[in-house]
Amino acid sequence: MKRRDFLKYIGVGGAGGVLGFIFGKVSKPPVGKLMPYLIPDPDIIPGVANWYASLCAHCGAGCGVLVKVMEGRVKKIEGNPEHPVNKGKLCALGQALPQTLYNPDRLKKPLKRTGERGRGQFAEISWEEAVSTVAKNLVDLNKSGNANKAYLLTHPLRGTFAKLAAAFMSSLGTSNIYEYELFQNRNLLYALETSMGLDCIPRYDIENTKYLLSFGADFTSTWVSPVLYSDAYGKMRQAAPGNRGKLVQVEPRMSLTGASADEWVAARPGAECVLALSIAYALVEKGYYRGGEVDAWRSALSKYKPSAAAHIADVPEKRIYEIARDFAKTRPSLAIGGETVSSYQDGVSGLTAVNILNHLAGNNGIKGGVIANAAGEKPDFKKGIAALIDDAAKGRVKTLIINNTNPVFTTPDGAKTVEALKAVGFIVSLASFKDETVALADIVLPLDACLEDWGDDEPNPSVGYPCRTLMQPAVSRAADTLGAGDVFLAVARAVGGKTAGRLKAASYADYLKDAWRDEYAKNKRMSAGTLTFDDFWNASLKKGGWWHPVGETKKAMRVSPSAARDAASKGPSMFEGDAKDFPFYFMLYPHHVHRDGRGANIPWMQELSDPMTSVVWGNWIEINPKTAERLGIREGALVTIESPFGKVSAPAYLYPGIRPDTAAMPIGQGHDAYGRYAQGKGQNPIRILPFKNDLRTGAFAVNSTRVKISPAAREGGIVKLEGTANEAGRDIAQTVSVSEYMKMKKEAV
Amino acid sequence: MPAVILQLRKVTVDKRTYSEVNKDILRLMTKTGPGYYAALGIVASLAGILFFLPWAYQIYRGQGVTGLNVPVLWGVYLVNFVFWVGIAHAGTLISAMLFITKTPWRRAIARGAETMTLFALILVALYIFIHMGRPWNAYWTMPYPNQRELWLNFMSPIMFDVFAIGTYTTSSAVFLYFGMIPDLASLQHQTTGWRKKLYSTLSLGWRGTDAQWTVHGRATMFFSSFIMPLVVSVHSIVSWDFALSLVPGYSQTVFAPYFVTGALLSGLAGVMLMFTIMRWAYPFLTKYVTDYHYDRVGALILALSLVWSYFTCMEVFTGLYANTSLELEHLKFKILTLPYFKLYFLMIFCNSILPLSLIFKKLRVSRPFMLFLCIFVLIGMWLERYLIVPNALSRKFLPFMWHDYTPSWVEVSITLGALMFFVSLFMVSIKLFPVISLFEVKEDIGIPMKHEHRKDGA
Amino acid sequence: MSGNPIKAIIERLKEFRRPGYYKNYDHKWTMVIDLDRCNGCEACVTACYAENNLPVVGKEDCGNSRVMNWIRVERYVAGEYPDVKVKFIPILCQQCSKAPCELGCPVYATYHNQDGLNVQVYNRCVGTFTCATYCPYDVRRFNWFTYKWDAPLEQQLNPDVTVREMGVMEKCTFCIQRIRAGKDKAKDEGRAVKDGDITPACAQSCPAGAFTFGDLNDPESRVSMLAKSRRRFRLFEELNTEPSVIYLKKVFADGGGNPPVGGHTLAGGHPPVKEGHGG
Ligand SMILES: Nc1nc2c(c(=O)[nH]1)N[C@H]1C(S)=C(S)[C@@H](COP(=O)(O)OP(=O)(O)OC[C@H]3O[C@@H](n4cnc5c(=O)[nH]c(N)nc54)[C@H](O)[C@@H]3O)O[C@H]1N2
Ligand SMILES: Nc1nc2c(c(=O)[nH]1)N[C@H]1C(S)=C(S)[C@@H](COP(=O)(O)OP(=O)(O)OC[C@H]3O[C@@H](n4cnc5c(=O)[nH]c(N)nc54)[C@H](O)[C@@H]3O)O[C@H]1N2
Ligand code: SF4
Ligand code: SF4
Ligand code: SF4
Ligand code: SF4
Ligand code: SF4
Repeated sequence: MKRRDFLKYIGVGGAGGVLGFIFGKVSKPPVGKLMPYLIPDPDIIPGVANWYASLCAHCGAGCGVLVKVMEGRVKKIEGNPEHPVNKGKLCALGQALPQTLYNPDRLKKPLKRTGERGRGQFAEISWEEAVSTVAKNLVDLNKSGNANKAYLLTHPLRGTFAKLAAAFMSSLGTSNIYEYELFQNRNLLYALETSMGLDCIPRYDIENTKYLLSFGADFTSTWVSPVLYSDAYGKMRQAAPGNRGKLVQVEPRMSLTGASADEWVAARPGAECVLALSIAYALVEKGYYRGGEVDAWRSALSKYKPSAAAHIADVPEKRIYEIARDFAKTRPSLAIGGETVSSYQDGVSGLTAVNILNHLAGNNGIKGGVIANAAGEKPDFKKGIAALIDDAAKGRVKTLIINNTNPVFTTPDGAKTVEALKAVGFIVSLASFKDETVALADIVLPLDACLEDWGDDEPNPSVGYPCRTLMQPAVSRAADTLGAGDVFLAVARAVGGKTAGRLKAASYADYLKDAWRDEYAKNKRMSAGTLTFDDFWNASLKKGGWWHPVGETKKAMRVSPSAARDAASKGPSMFEGDAKDFPFYFMLYPHHVHRDGRGANIPWMQELSDPMTSVVWGNWIEINPKTAERLGIREGALVTIESPFGKVSAPAYLYPGIRPDTAAMPIGQGHDAYGRYAQGKGQNPIRILPFKNDLRTGAFAVNSTRVKISPAAREGGIVKLEGTANEAGRDIAQTVSVSEYMKMKKEAV
Repeated sequence: MPAVILQLRKVTVDKRTYSEVNKDILRLMTKTGPGYYAALGIVASLAGILFFLPWAYQIYRGQGVTGLNVPVLWGVYLVNFVFWVGIAHAGTLISAMLFITKTPWRRAIARGAETMTLFALILVALYIFIHMGRPWNAYWTMPYPNQRELWLNFMSPIMFDVFAIGTYTTSSAVFLYFGMIPDLASLQHQTTGWRKKLYSTLSLGWRGTDAQWTVHGRATMFFSSFIMPLVVSVHSIVSWDFALSLVPGYSQTVFAPYFVTGALLSGLAGVMLMFTIMRWAYPFLTKYVTDYHYDRVGALILALSLVWSYFTCMEVFTGLYANTSLELEHLKFKILTLPYFKLYFLMIFCNSILPLSLIFKKLRVSRPFMLFLCIFVLIGMWLERYLIVPNALSRKFLPFMWHDYTPSWVEVSITLGALMFFVSLFMVSIKLFPVISLFEVKEDIGIPMKHEHRKDGA
Repeated sequence: MSGNPIKAIIERLKEFRRPGYYKNYDHKWTMVIDLDRCNGCEACVTACYAENNLPVVGKEDCGNSRVMNWIRVERYVAGEYPDVKVKFIPILCQQCSKAPCELGCPVYATYHNQDGLNVQVYNRCVGTFTCATYCPYDVRRFNWFTYKWDAPLEQQLNPDVTVREMGVMEKCTFCIQRIRAGKDKAKDEGRAVKDGDITPACAQSCPAGAFTFGDLNDPESRVSMLAKSRRRFRLFEELNTEPSVIYLKKVFADGGGNPPVGGHTLAGGHPPVKEGHGG
């Protein structure tokens, strides 16, 4: 550790002391503005910053952060340089943590529904009332023998809180825990498990690879762990002199990552799986594959000869062979499959095909290839969002606790989510903002921002060795809120009986510390050496968690020809709608900072221009300029996008990086609720999708319909920062060709 | 009386007498009808509503009420600034340059031109404040001693401006006042009440002795020589606000003479417009501002228009010659993109094509035609500045930042309101001070017989 | 110099006229940006917002091109489907050694400090726009209005950095508050500033590690090493502004190098596959 970094890790003791985490003793924010200066907290020295190591909870990547606190206020978030996931770096959304903490639209008190459900009318109530109402409902449910009709719908959980939630639900006599988020890696985990036998997301060693073949993985922007992979990308490009990994991106719509690729392969939407398998066939056919069962592989893949696949995937046969040759001959190489592929109706097949490629090229278990991790959290594949909505609609859900996830926004009209939720007897929503789902709740429990709360995390994908991140409060609560852990404990206490018995901790902070004590006791994973628990705990607080490189996890990663047969049996993915009436494939992708819509309430994120279109404060639809010309659509003109399931409108952005037969829209805008910054910014394209869910994984497929596009007469009100994307021959962002670059032997990098 | 003046060709109608001159001017100054008050009332209230109120609003809200943006940070205010500096050039040209070159027809129109210069410069100064983000700190652009040892950046063309405009305003004011002293002395005898007091105070004891006339003549010569370089320097310096930058469309070596030519062109058009309107309001002025003036000024406008046209061609030509994306994009935007395409050719029509008609003497002396022409030349010259100042900034170096500019209502209103303010100032001033130089016009008439002189009482 | 004070002054002034006079000073802060690493994610932009109290102006003023970003990622696109080439270039104040903006400012509100930085004195600025007009890189931002933070968002404001008032010009400072802090700390510890002591917010955040910040006067610094790269170039070098931001060229796989004058066409047909160029 660098000395200067060490100095930042000032202990949390003092600030921790002033924070009342026990329910009922929620500490108030420092009185007014003047008091902190008159009677300063021992920790507060005006003008001097305290730094707390913690965890970013803006997405599931689990980056470690350092929080700069001055005068009791969070001033800045920086990456924790020691943290193995993000190594001191942060993405734009992570930087925006303070704007979630100090967001003017945060829920400040518990709420009780007053009006009709869905009208969004609420009255403020006390925590006592809120918690006893919830507890009474659960107790009544139990008494009436309907315990198994209590459900928890939550964002994917990891670490200690996952255990707490499971204990809570099981103590109530139910195992109905549904995890849902729009981009949830369900298909990825399933494909890894079924075809490779992996119980984790492995480490895709992008950093050390020489040839990266990405099937729609926008890994520098939104896929799985953006900071981890952006860092790896930078190193892949320019870490060692003269070595520069090549990136080939296969996707119908050029993503931010695709924009940086050396080659963009605009395969037909849904046919990436076919393309991958044909590359796999070429590997076998040309003898690049050096493993066993050659004949079995050849026959398993025989349906996907490049000559046939070329037509399906709209990629020239020659190019398929070239990719196969480069992928096999460049050592090490690596294939990955991302959101585009996994968001098709048959997302698992495409991801399985990617596993097959890595297997055939011999990329598994090697540096620069696929490296196994320790087991990670995994969803229950049977408990997808569709199953929950179905249960709710059929009246099987009496009480629903929704923890910080927004299915009303992220499911289509056709899912009838609102109707289903209206059929639920009692809804408790744990959230920080009044989003579309919260609007349907009976009781709303306002949550802490992550900078006010305790927590921990085991990143998935991990970093090749055990890693646990600690989240600790950096400032006292800004409003009358509680952490989700404390809410569950408080409810458990109020429910009493077995539940209170199982969850005895006075606060979630205590619960967390106890959980870490257990981990410490095992000592195996944590490698705490000779440290006492208290030292270990304090060291973890200072460091932001505990991690220790103890050698790589060795796991067999084999893909069998039968996996190929499974994947191959499906062919290209289906799109709803007749090609004649609905001529365009419709691709939805997560906005680079709004992600699944969560970032839309942050003013910085609204004003941060989309890197590919430079659009701010709004939504747009991407259409190839040629197509637009044919349809008579000018840039910025409002167009109507109609699928067999509904229509939305958005201004057109003429985007050269998209197939002429495809239209694309970012997900994230179009909120009806969720605060002043998010509301009324365009329309939500998810609404017009069919509600297609993978039967095996329960994943909701967003790339599953065709649409037609018709110009509306109005101007769309698009606001973009770019004057023009044409460099006008001015040689501004200068480039050097690969051959020239290779001649730069003495490159002093 | 210096001999040179006596030898000058007589340009005004010689039938007038000294007393008639006095009476005419006095009538203009003192006989005020309801029409004048009505006109002044309208113009002054327009100045208040269109100029002062929006400006106050702008100071309160910030420069954001304009249409300015990044990269177009110089807009209509700077256009107006340059335009009014141009208008101000007529005074110096006619008073100083034509004095030194002994051009006789200047006498009747010199005072009016000088007055116009002064008021135009007041507008110029106002536009500097209007254009500033923090006008309340405007005095920071002055070199004044202060404890923090803050000093000015004398490399900055903006600083050159401050000094150029400052020098020009001061010397124009002195020149105007100095030239007026004999007239003020003569007026004190013909007026009563506050006017008499005012004129006798301002005339500084002028008695018209030979010695005084000799000093006056020499001093006029001195001031003229002093002020003459300003004709060239002031607008050159203003052009350096642009030419010393690197911005394509600004960084033009041709700008200094181009701007000076344009300034003189618009200045002359301004003077003739003003006299034409005054002749309409006060028909007796026809005796002083005659066809001969129209003929001569018309010829000068023609000459300046030709020079201006040459520079305009050169500006395009050097850009084409440079053949870089920077220069070509700028030209393309300025000349070939709507709506600037229309504005550009309107400018060419106003400043190059229309003035060619002045070849014909008949048109030069036609007052309606000259009125029409002067208005068009002024519009053309305003457009020239508009097509340079914000337009070049719309297409700077980095295409990602290219952005267009449209003036906001505040800018449009202030532009029109400031014009009204100028007109109000002028209208008030013709009632207070002789807009035609009495003694110089009398020089035209020549030295009368002794008895005539006495009868006149001058 | 034989004690002639005038001569001494002239000699001193001559120093300033010599190109690279800053070499005589302690530091020459320099940013190297590797375009081959930058993937356009804009983490740098948000980091700068957070560090430097940049206001959010809203949709309408974004449309008026009045967004207050001190660093932006410009994106240029050439070619037509399917041969589309995209390039990103983060642009911040280039901290020109011969800064056109400094020439323009009448009141020295923007001037050169002895670390080779182009500094902006908000208090002194009277808002003539000259600096921004003269800046070839369009990095200067003007406070068109009094910008407000919706309560309680103002609680995040960084006390190390001023909140600027209406009517003044602002721009990237190379995070001068961090430079200041780094120098102070080194001084407190009785040592010289080391390479790596100071990192501006944008550089610190960049997930791809595209930025390197340091002292060009220190021959051992990483920026001094990178500045020797054969991929180096500076933005509009021909303007002779001598920027302190050095870019490293992006490597393009097509063998075509830079787009020809006029933009648009970059590559014809599919790029030739170069066997193993990655290794
Ligand atoms: N504003 C201003 N005026 C000046 C000076 C000044 O510094 N600023 N300096 C004075 C001095 S010392 C001189 S020598 C003169 C110089 O006066 P000019 O010769 O006019 O010099 P520039 O304006 O530098 O260049 C004229 C045009 O040539 C273009 N150009 C550049 N390179 C080439 C090329 O290779 N081929 C072609 N065809 N065109 C090219 C430029 O883009 C520009 O538009 O200006 C004098 N006047
Ligand atoms: N990048 C680039 N370089 C160029 C050119 C270009 O277009 N681009 N143009 C070239 C050309 S054409 C020229 S002429 C040269 C000009 O190059 P220089 O001759 O270096 O011109 P300036 O930089 O204007 O410097 C003139 C210096 O003289 C000082 N000075 C001013 N008046 C006087 C005086 O009366 N006496 C004395 N002793 N000093 C005085 C000024 O303060 C200034 O320091 O630059 C050449 N170099
Ligand atoms: S990727 Fe960004 S949002 Fe996600 S945890 Fe890391 S810093 Fe936070
Ligand atoms: S943070 Fe780094 S990779 Fe992202 S846009 Fe900025 S310079 Fe490029
Ligand atoms: S806007 Fe401010 S810094 Fe810029 S030139 Fe004017 S006074 Fe100087
Ligand atoms: S980039 Fe612009 S603002 Fe920065 S020093 Fe250079 S000219 Fe000045
Ligand atoms: S160096 Fe600092 S001020 Fe400049 S762009 Fe980066 S973060 Fe912003």
